[in-house]
This record gives sequence, C-alpha cells and structure tokens, in this order.
Amino acid sequence: MNRGLILKSLREAWVATLLLSLALMAIEAILAYVLPTFADQFSTFLLQLEFAQRMLQALLGTDIGDQVGPGVFSSMAWVHPVVLAIIAAHATILSTRVPVGEIDRGTIDVLLGLPVSRWGVYRCELVVFLASGLVVIGMGLAGNQLGALLVESKPPSAVQPLVVVVINLFCLYFAVGGLGWLVSSLSDRRGKAVAVVFTILVGSFLLNFLAQVWPLAEPVSFLSVLNYYQPMLILRDGGGWPVTDMVVLTVLGVALWLAGGLCFARRDICTV
Amino acid sequence: MNVIIVEQLTRRYGRRIGIEQVNLEVPEGVIFGFLGPNGAGKTTMIRVLLGFLRPSAGRARVFGLDCWRAGHRIKEDVGYLPGDLRLYPSMTGTDMLRIFGSVRRRDLLAPGRALAELFVLDLTVAVRKMSRGMRQKLGLILALAHRPRLLILDEPTVSLDPLMRQHLMQQLQELASAGHTVFFSSHNLSEVDRLCDRVAIVRDGRIVADESLDALRAGAKREVTIRWARDVNPRDVNVPEILEIHHRQDRLWQGSLNGPVPVLVRWLDSQPIEDLAIGHPDLDSLFRRYYQQGRSD
Repeated sequence: MNRGLILKSLREAWVATLLLSLALMAIEAILAYVLPTFADQFSTFLLQLEFAQRMLQALLGTDIGDQVGPGVFSSMAWVHPVVLAIIAAHATILSTRVPVGEIDRGTIDVLLGLPVSRWGVYRCELVVFLASGLVVIGMGLAGNQLGALLVESKPPSAVQPLVVVVINLFCLYFAVGGLGWLVSSLSDRRGKAVAVVFTILVGSFLLNFLAQVWPLAEPVSFLSVLNYYQPMLILRDGGGWPVTDMVVLTVLGVALWLAGGLCFARRDICTV
Repeated sequence: MNVIIVEQLTRRYGRRIGIEQVNLEVPEGVIFGFLGPNGAGKTTMIRVLLGFLRPSAGRARVFGLDCWRAGHRIKEDVGYLPGDLRLYPSMTGTDMLRIFGSVRRRDLLAPGRALAELFVLDLTVAVRKMSRGMRQKLGLILALAHRPRLLILDEPTVSLDPLMRQHLMQQLQELASAGHTVFFSSHNLSEVDRLCDRVAIVRDGRIVADESLDALRAGAKREVTIRWARDVNPRDVNVPEILEIHHRQDRLWQGSLNGPVPVLVRWLDSQPIEDLAIGHPDLDSLFRRYYQQGRSD
C-alpha cells in the first residue's frame, strides 16, 4: 500500500467526509430525539390509518405487523430518505474519484505518471473509501446516541442492536461504492457516472418501496440493494445478525469493485 | 544502449489513426525531439510509452520493459510533463512535492525547492491560484525533481517566458550531459534546433524523418545572396544545379542552395561577384516541406 497515494486521497476526501459526517450526525440526533418523543401519538395515529401504515411499511421496506412499537420508531432513524441519501452521496462521491474523477479533470496523467500501478491506485482508494465510510456511519451512530440521550422519558436503549444496524448499513455503503467504482471505470465524465449511479439507486429505492404496496413488484424486489438492509427487523428482534443480507451486500460490493478494477486496469486513459 | 525501442507500433482510435507502424530508437543520453504539427500523433506516442494507451499493434519498450505491462516499473525512472497539464487545485507546490516524494519514496522537497528557485516559483501558492505559466513551472519541477533517467516532456515550453525557456534548456542540457535521456515533443523548431541531438518528424501518424540534427541540417537548404560586380545577363550565367535562384533584382540575386557549399564557392570563384552571403541551414523550410508534403499528397 503506497502511503503517498493514501495521503493524497485522504487530503482530497476529508472535506466531503467531514461535511457529510456532520450532516448525518445532526440528522440522526434529530430523528433519535423526535421519533421516540412523539412515538405514542404516531402509533395511535398510524394504527388508525391503513394508508399511512402502508407508507411506513414501504419506507421501512418490510412488514411492520399490527403494532407500531419502539423498534419501528428506532429503525425509522436508519431508513429515513435523508439518511440513505447522505450515505449514498458519500459512497458515490468517493467511489467516482478514481478513475473517472481524475480523468474528467485531467489529473490522471500526473497521477499515472508516478510509479504506481492502476491496481495500486485503486486499492488505496478503497482503503480511504472504507475508512471514511466508517467515520461517516460512526458519526451517524454517535448522533443517534446523542439524540436518544436527550429523550428524558425513554429508558436507555441497548447499543448492540444499533451496532448490527450500523454494520448492515456499512455493507450497503460498500455495495453502493462497488457500483460507483464499476461505473467510474467505464466512464470518461464524472457527472455522467454520478448520474448513472444515482439513477440506479433511485430505481432500487423505488423498487423496494413499491414491493411493499404493489404485489407485482414483490417478486423482483430482490434486485434492490435496500432489500438487504432492513433495520426494523434487527431492532425488533433485539439485534439478531442479518447474515444473509450482509453477505449478499458484501459479495455484491466485492464483485462490482473487482469488475471495476479489471476495467480500469485494461482501459485506455484518454484525457484529450 | 537504447532507452526507448518502438517496433511497428500502431495505435488507432476506432477508424482514426493515432500513429501507424512507427519504428523508433532513442539512445541513452541524447535529447530527442519528436516533431510534428498538432494532431500528428505526438501525444499518442507519448501516451503509449507511458502505458496510458494499449498499442493496437506492434510494441513499445522503455528500459527494455514493455510499456503496457510494466508501466509502473518504468515510471520509477521517468519524469513526465503532460501536454495539457492539470494539477490538483487544492494543493500547493510544497504539498505536491511532499506527496509525490512519498509516492516515489524519496525526498523531493530539497531538489524541488532548488528548482523552484531556478524557475522563480513560489511553492506555497495553491495550484488553483496559479497562472498557467506557474502551473507549467510546477509541472516541470515535479518531472525534474527526482532526476529521472528518462524525461518525457510533451510541449514543455508552452506558457513559459523566454527566460524560463532558457533555464529549462540549460537543465535539459545538464541532464543529457550527465547521461540522462530527454524525449520531448514540440512544434517549435527554434528550440529543437538549439537543443536536440536527434529528431524524428511525425506526420499523420507516421515517421517521415528520423535523423541526427546534423544530418537534417546537411539536407536543409541554405539561403544564398549574390551581388554581382557588374550587370550580368542571366542567360550568360551557367548556374549550377545545386543553386536555385528565386529572385533577381539588378545585380542582386537571391536563391537557395541545395548541396555542398564548396561546390558553390568553386563555381563563384570564376564569376565576377562583388559579395556573397550564405545563410544557416533553413530547418524551418525543411520541416515545412515535410509537413506540407502530406497535405499535397
């Protein structure tokens, strides 16, 4: 692992990582505070409205059953669209830095003019991606705990189930990153690569959403990455490990990352 | 020993030809000029040498290693300045020297600072605040700081003022005299004339000339001006074939010499001339002839 390349990547990635970490921390703190505070009102209200219950079910990506309990409210903080958008944005920003970001701004000539292999550059980017992803998601967890501390009436919740949710979220982050790398390795314009990743992610989100309210979409819901991230089930079951979901996301991430690496190693680099 | 060996190298972009069936050998310790107009294939050639582009056919080797397969190993001893140089906007010159030094696993700060002094560049300025000329200087410093065995420069003097060009020329000459090899592309004939030991001319992706500069000079025409001592009738003067007269005005004749000077001098010795001027070999017209041949073909 080349220390210089890691330093360079860290130097370029820290601003996005810091801003998105703080944003996720703030959002998690707000959600962790707001959702339990109004849990009773929400439950009564939601149980009376089938449509609202369906929408909540669609948002959580799983059947919430007939009781909207604390597990459901805790999990809402981890599937809120803003939270998912922040995670997806960070994964996309970092995974499209190399090669397409460097090609687009023309700096790849200088980078690959150094005695480094393309795989070497790619590996260093992965290390920075994983490390900064840990920071972002860790800050989210910290924000969630901070918000929960401010809820006076609520007894302290167990951390272990949250840690499982966070690890599952990290697997999702890695899978999105893998997609970003593959698209990045096949593109010459970063804007186009980000647009492709964004479109696939929105499609994935919609598919997961529709599968809960539209029976025809259910058989293909396995195609959505969000199908493998269901924090409500983890929190409701008291922290059981969703091993299959994590393995699917990790294998997907690794496969896409490797495919991206092969494309990057074999492609021509044209900046002019 | 040849630092660069290119054999039957072809690189196409779809139907368009970048370079075609290029053969080239660059010996160690020379300053090699790779000349051609825009779009002739100079940058394609450099990108193949650096392993950025995979050859469509043929092969290219640097230090005996295949450019596509062992690009990263080759670049340990290569300094490269891209033609369209882009650097990391948020970094300063010092940051870049530190990071590049870390990648190369050697200290580049000290030699980089010495070069910055020579090129008059403030290394504490962020790249985004630098002018084009300043960025070009920083690119040169980054390419030169580790004193590479082979320096590949794509249009290096673009955006440099005449004084900085002079400094660059001195640097390149010093490197070459110390046994380093310089391969640079250009369409600036005067700097090639001043600097290069050897020149290859590329046109429409093909090498049309690959010779030492002395050999090229020998083949280049010289401007000749003859002032006759008295009025002469052109029909009475038996001008040798090597002299082509373009312009006659009274006793003043101007033309170009396409052959050895002594032959002309011997002929003029028997002629009633008052004055004679023979110019330097006109490389400019020679290169123009090479460039224009393709268009007229």
